[in-house]
Parts: sequence; structure tokens; C-alpha cells
Amino acid sequence: MKLEYILYGFGILFCIAGVGYLAAEYVKYLSDVGKLGSLLLTVGLFAFLGKYFEGLGW
Amino acid sequence: MTVKHRDLYLYLALVCFLGIILIFIFDGYMGVYDNLTVRAGEDEQKIEDQNWERDYWSTAVEWGEKAYFYYEVDNRRFSSYKADVEVSLWHSQEKVSDILVQTVSIDSFDKEQVEWVVDTAELLPDDVSPEQGYEYTMYLKRDGIERKFVVHVRSSKMPVIIEPVPLPR
Repeated sequence: MKLEYILYGFGILFCIAGVGYLAAEYVKYLSDVGKLGSLLLTVGLFAFLGKYFEGLGW
Repeated sequence: MTVKHRDLYLYLALVCFLGIILIFIFDGYMGVYDNLTVRAGEDEQKIEDQNWERDYWSTAVEWGEKAYFYYEVDNRRFSSYKADVEVSLWHSQEKVSDILVQTVSIDSFDKEQVEWVVDTAELLPDDVSPEQGYEYTMYLKRDGIERKFVVHVRSSKMPVIIEPVPLPR
């Protein structure tokens, strides 16, 4: 059971690292408006995820 | 009711995530991009689309040497792309020569490369000796976009040949 959680942890870390790498590579192609939009949506994403997990009782 | 609100937050988070992905695809990836690769002597540099505005780009060659330019236009759109590529060489705000005028016609999600050579042997002005340095500014125009690249021409130093003096017999 613990091993499963460790593997999940690795999987999540690799996903975040992969998405982070792609974002870092492509953010330089974005216009200033695109960067601002992405920033606002990222803030919204984490805010709504926070509210969702708050609702779950975390 | 609480459960519905909770799910609503999750869906809103997903909408934000999809929005970010869509911005990255349509604002970041889609469009027409170009890059220029320059080979001069042992030096090779590649200037990507997003780096043109930030830096001063140049290369250096000696008189008599050539600089090779490879200009690539990348059409990342669903429609084809057609434009004229004009390259000219300038010195002190005066045009020295037109290097290239070529039309590129690129299918959707395809690339096309245009090549040219700057031969400094053909550019040496009458009032300049090969021992003097010189500068040319190359302007590259495509579809209203203008790129500037400076070619420094260094003095060509002839190798010193030392001939052995015959020993007296």
C-alpha cells in the first residue's frame, strides 16, 4: 500500500515536471496578452482547486 | 447542495486548465515563425523568432571570406502562407546591393528555407584596403517584418612567409 503511494507521488512529480518544462518552453512564444491570460487562469485554477479540496474536508 | 458547489469548483478549475492549454496552442504555437542560421568561418549561430527584438545580432568575417545565411519560415497555421523575402546590404544608410528577392509559398504546418551567401570578396569598396575593417548592415524584410543583422568585415592579415636564408659556403 505504501509502495503504491510512493509510485503515485513519483507519477505526480513527473507530471508536474513535464507540464512545467513544456510551459517554460512555450511561454516564450506567448504574446503579453497571452501571458497575462495564462497567469489569470493559473490563479483561477489553483483558487478553484483550493475551494474544491476545502469542500472535500482537506 | 454542498456537493454540487464542490463539483462546480472542480469544473471551473478544469475550465481554467483548458483555457491555459488553448492559449498555449493558439497564442503560443500557432502563427508564422522564422529563424536565421548564420555560418561564418568556424562560427555558427541560430537566431530564433522570439530573440530578434532583444539582442544585437552580428557576425564577423575576414575580407575574402563568405558568410552563409539560412532563413527558415515556419508556417504553423491551417492555411497556406505566401510572402516575399527581401534581403539587402547597407552601409552608412546607403544600399550597397540587393542580395535576394524571393517569394516563399508554404503549405499549412510546413517550412521553407531560403539561402544566400554574402561574399566579402565582391564587396570590397574601391576606397577601402583589405587591411581595414568595415561593417555592413543586412536588412531582411518579410510581410512587414524587418530583421537587422550586422556583418563585421575584419582586415585580412596575410601570413608572414619567412624564407630561409642560404648559409654562406
